[in-house]
Amino acid sequence: MENNQKKILIVEDDQFLREFYQELLMQEGYLVDVASDGAEGEAKLNQGGYDLVLLDLMLPKKDGVTLLKEAKFKTPSKPIGAIVILTNLGQESLIKQCFDLGAAGYLIKSALNPDQVLAEIKSYFKNK
Amino acid sequence: MFNFFKKSQSQQSGVPKKRESLESLWRLTKILMENLEFEDVVYKTVNSLLNELGYLKSGYRIVVLSLVDEEAGGLRRIALSETEEARRATSVSTIPFERIVIPFSATQNLGIKVLMSGKPEVTTHWPDLLSPPLTAEAALTNQRSAGITTSMVYPVFARGKAIGTLIFSMVKKYQDVTEEEKDLLWGFTELIGLAVENSMLFTKLKNTSQQLTQANNKLQQLDQLKDDFVSVASHELRTPMTAIKSYAWMALNRADVDLSEKLKKYLVRVLMSTDRLINLVNDMLNISRIESGRIELLPEAVDLISLSKDIIDEVYYSKSIEKPIKFHLLEQSLPKVFADPNKLRQVFLNIVGNALKFSPPGGSIIIGFFTDGQSVETYIKDEGPGISKDDISRLFKKFGRLDNSYTATASSGGTGLGLFISKSLIDLMHGKIWAESEGVGKGATFKFSLPIATNELVEHADQYQIKPAGDIRELEPAAL
Repeated sequence: MENNQKKILIVEDDQFLREFYQELLMQEGYLVDVASDGAEGEAKLNQGGYDLVLLDLMLPKKDGVTLLKEAKFKTPSKPIGAIVILTNLGQESLIKQCFDLGAAGYLIKSALNPDQVLAEIKSYFKNK
Repeated sequence: MFNFFKKSQSQQSGVPKKRESLESLWRLTKILMENLEFEDVVYKTVNSLLNELGYLKSGYRIVVLSLVDEEAGGLRRIALSETEEARRATSVSTIPFERIVIPFSATQNLGIKVLMSGKPEVTTHWPDLLSPPLTAEAALTNQRSAGITTSMVYPVFARGKAIGTLIFSMVKKYQDVTEEEKDLLWGFTELIGLAVENSMLFTKLKNTSQQLTQANNKLQQLDQLKDDFVSVASHELRTPMTAIKSYAWMALNRADVDLSEKLKKYLVRVLMSTDRLINLVNDMLNISRIESGRIELLPEAVDLISLSKDIIDEVYYSKSIEKPIKFHLLEQSLPKVFADPNKLRQVFLNIVGNALKFSPPGGSIIIGFFTDGQSVETYIKDEGPGISKDDISRLFKKFGRLDNSYTATASSGGTGLGLFISKSLIDLMHGKIWAESEGVGKGATFKFSLPIATNELVEHADQYQIKPAGDIRELEPAAL
């Protein structure tokens, strides 16, 4: 499978959702790493080496917008591919802010079916 | 008038005094009219006669205003002039001045008597004024301490009703009170009645207005709390709802065992119900935002034909797979409208979604347009069950879902809020939205009109933007 080489980081504090996306993506053949709060997310982002990051915004310890902001100005040890926001927050101004900070996409969890999330993820790899 | 007075003055000896009385009354009127607050009016009432009108010189020493207090069941002492005699009387009194209430049942008390009869009385014996509640002995002590010889009690009227009394206490005998003085005291008490009544009304009105302001502030705080609550609750609700939806989807689509048809049906219903819950939360959040002014509107020129095509595509692929429906888009050359594309899309989706929801399988939905050069009217016509005349007025109200369409909602995810939101959004975009139906069984047509995007409107689009009022909370759940 071509997906084999693709490595995805999921930063999500809700255990059930984190494990859900992990399972969903692994079934599709992706390599999946997870972080359950902002601090863990920060450490893994600094390390780098992901083709795609799915980043929640409301996170304990450090919120997603801050992580996104920091990622923009930091150079990780290994490069990071696209950062896609996957959240249930969605004020227009917030979405705009995330795109301004370099987010490649903005997905709203409750509005999408899992297959739609998968389709979006595939599209980021295709566009690359 | 002036000449008449001058002439009279020189000819008649009684008239100058009459004129003095009139002038005094006029001055009193002025003093009392300057004040509207109850506290000020009663203060002036008991002091102005002695000071401003110089009645101290005529032997007057204490003026006391009492008013009917229905709650206390008696005549309550309200105000007392600021004189040395008054101070001496209160300093020895067994009951503080402001706590003296003469019960209505004490009919031998001159205050109550005057109140009942409406006629003035005179006494040289203070127990007539203060007992009960004071003992005769205590009342006499007060009188001796003040050094008062005579007290006259006058009724105070307002709108023909006795509302209290005025007591004028003097260091002279009643025989020495002139007719002019008596005339003036009558005039004075009449004036006091009106002034007190007005000030009571004014103060009551002011208090009521203050209470209303407070109540209004409180309501605004509560409203803010409600908005905050809806905002936080909707996010907190959405996380578990997303988990339910995700795992139900997983069970249905990625199960590692074969599912029975029954199990599939159950899971589909879990998914549909979760979607319905999510919609409801979204709608409530939308309404909360619209009502609290935290909505953003960025109008621009929008092409209705291409928007319609997008909507049909979206709805067709997501929904009409479940139900075969034919869409007919009546294309024509059309000016662009001035609207926020995202909000218009939301309205459009809602109406087309409704049409689809209520259309019979195999039915048609027509989307067409009409323009009068000022605005463009979009209509969406379905072959659904139609709407009765009575129900049409309820359509755009909050939770205005109709009884006969209720059964359809369990499977359609309706919340009863969609049309209310659509109307709010169209209103904000200076448009109109309404529904027409020939009646039950004859389908329905929903129409909305929006202003044409003239060059002038588009050039000054920033003037028509609506920015969220107040602080934008940084992390807010998505309203879709």
